[in-house]
Amino acid sequence: MKRQDIGVGVGLLLLSTWLFWYVGRYKGKEIYGYGPDFFPRVLAVMMAILAVGLILQARAGHSLKMGERIDPKGFVRMLICIAICIGYLFLTTLLGFAAATFVFLFTLMTFLRQKGMLVRILSSVATSLTVWAIFRYFLIIPLPEGLLF
Amino acid sequence: MQLDLLLAAFGKVMLDPMNFLFVFVGVTSGIIVGALPGLTATMGVALLIPFTFGLDPVRGLLMLLGLFSGGIYGGSISAILLGVPGTPSAAATALDGHIMAKRGLAGKAIGMATIASFFGGTTGALIMTFLSPQIAKIALKFGPPEFFALAFFGLGIIITVSGKSILKGLISGIFGLMITTIGFDPLSGSPRLTFGSVELLGGITFIPALIGLFGYSQVFQGIEKILTLPTVKSELKNILPKFREIRETFKTMVKSALMGTFIGAVPGTGCDIAAFVSYGEARRSSKTPEKFGTGILEGVAAPEVGNNAATGGAMIPMLTLGVPGDAVTAVLMGALTIHNLQPGPLLFRDHPEVVYPIFAGMILAQFVMLGVGLGGVRFFASIINIDRRVLTPIIFLLCVVGSYVMRFSFFDVAVSLIIGIIAYFMNYYGFPGSPILLALILGPMVEQNMRRSLMISHGDPLIFITRPISAAFIGIGLFVMITSYFRIRKAMQREGEEGARAEKEKVD
Repeated sequence: MKRQDIGVGVGLLLLSTWLFWYVGRYKGKEIYGYGPDFFPRVLAVMMAILAVGLILQARAGHSLKMGERIDPKGFVRMLICIAICIGYLFLTTLLGFAAATFVFLFTLMTFLRQKGMLVRILSSVATSLTVWAIFRYFLIIPLPEGLLF
Repeated sequence: MQLDLLLAAFGKVMLDPMNFLFVFVGVTSGIIVGALPGLTATMGVALLIPFTFGLDPVRGLLMLLGLFSGGIYGGSISAILLGVPGTPSAAATALDGHIMAKRGLAGKAIGMATIASFFGGTTGALIMTFLSPQIAKIALKFGPPEFFALAFFGLGIIITVSGKSILKGLISGIFGLMITTIGFDPLSGSPRLTFGSVELLGGITFIPALIGLFGYSQVFQGIEKILTLPTVKSELKNILPKFREIRETFKTMVKSALMGTFIGAVPGTGCDIAAFVSYGEARRSSKTPEKFGTGILEGVAAPEVGNNAATGGAMIPMLTLGVPGDAVTAVLMGALTIHNLQPGPLLFRDHPEVVYPIFAGMILAQFVMLGVGLGGVRFFASIINIDRRVLTPIIFLLCVVGSYVMRFSFFDVAVSLIIGIIAYFMNYYGFPGSPILLALILGPMVEQNMRRSLMISHGDPLIFITRPISAAFIGIGLFVMITSYFRIRKAMQREGEEGARAEKEKVD
């Protein structure tokens, strides 16, 4: 993981430098010298030290071996699922929680290649209605409402 | 402590079937609330309070105490089965529990979590019953330096939950502390790192961060590997841990119970810190620390004993001093005042008919929890046998709902998703998620009390080592960090040598 560690180390070094500089704008709001910038600056310095440590460790060849690697096809699948989730969030305000949840679960199960149509429909209906009923009747917590329920 | 009143209260509470029923309803509701990601025991108690208005105060309180105990225990069920902690205090349980579930040992892990919760809860309740005034006196001596030192001690656990690289664990921890600086500055009240966003003024809320770190990241990995991962069937026969296995973890359980109760008794701490500290200490003092995180019973027992013992601990300052030990007891305090009972030293004198049944009720709740938990192990364990293509979308849904319901905010869902994506990459690059969680719990406590202490001492850092309790915590913290570092390094070296030897033998 040598290259990755160096990359992350450089990124963290930049992040800590930026944080140290950015929180400087909170100066002047302090009480007895310890203002809102104090703690973030302490953290920025600590992070910079650790980031340098990570880079040096990687350069010395002491990085951990890379375990599992990201499967490119699986990664795309994950991104599509996140997109479906974002769509679901919009749909809840349009259709209401229970109906949108059914669509969300059914779509995800279909996309993840669950074969049985009946299993997909029944599990989507059962889950969305159970979660909806628990929140509405047992916990009395409001969930988004829309055209349906 | 009036022993005759205590015995009479035990008799009254334990022998009345209606009391048992109220505790049962409370415990079962608590387990459901706790097992649902995003819903905490605090929220559960707050939701149940209106139902206790019309009840006799003792029965109402028994139901709430049952919910408190059940809620803390319930978080472990989803942590073990799904890798998504139902409550923050179950996050440490997921470290070993979920790996056991992936190996088909979900029932055994839940069984151990149930027994450990019972042991921790009962010990905490007994200590609460007999030592409340003494512990409350020590807890009241805590000022900013002591709180900082306690948080420092807690952060020392980062080393033990860092996995294979302590350096990466520390980076995760500092990253978590950085996240806690977003939002209103706790002392001056000025917004910090919010970039003009109103939603960020309150900071990154804890529950969405928890779900992102442990929920979404799991879901994303599950989706990525869904077509390639082998199916795991959970063992449904002989699923409870054997007596020998429980006996082997007994020493850890006793230590975790004592630590959990004490940590719970310190106002402002809570079950989540108790769980992590117990896990960290169990790993630090273990002869085989390298086995923690690979799915061992001790890794499930320690945090579960710790967090349930902290429930009794948190009740101590609330009952004796009128100072809540954590968020749940703050809500419980509200419930007491609704019933015209003012928690504090006078409660013992003016309302012994309520105080002593509370002690008895806490113990009864542990027995009911044990019964419900062990009775449901087979059912819980069978959940993991559901087809992954059905289960993964359901977990995804629970993550979305869990991150939404805390503040009814789609912004929180988005934050949770982003943290989940970051955590997904962190897993691949060897950065552990647990130190971030620990930092999110302890970060505000560290910052506020460090700054307050330095203000008190006019910038002199010696304030942290000149006060006895603070010095003791810092000393113990440093001891834990140094010994953990060397023990874990040694264990890793041993593991590396064994791996190299095995590889060489394979080649030969």
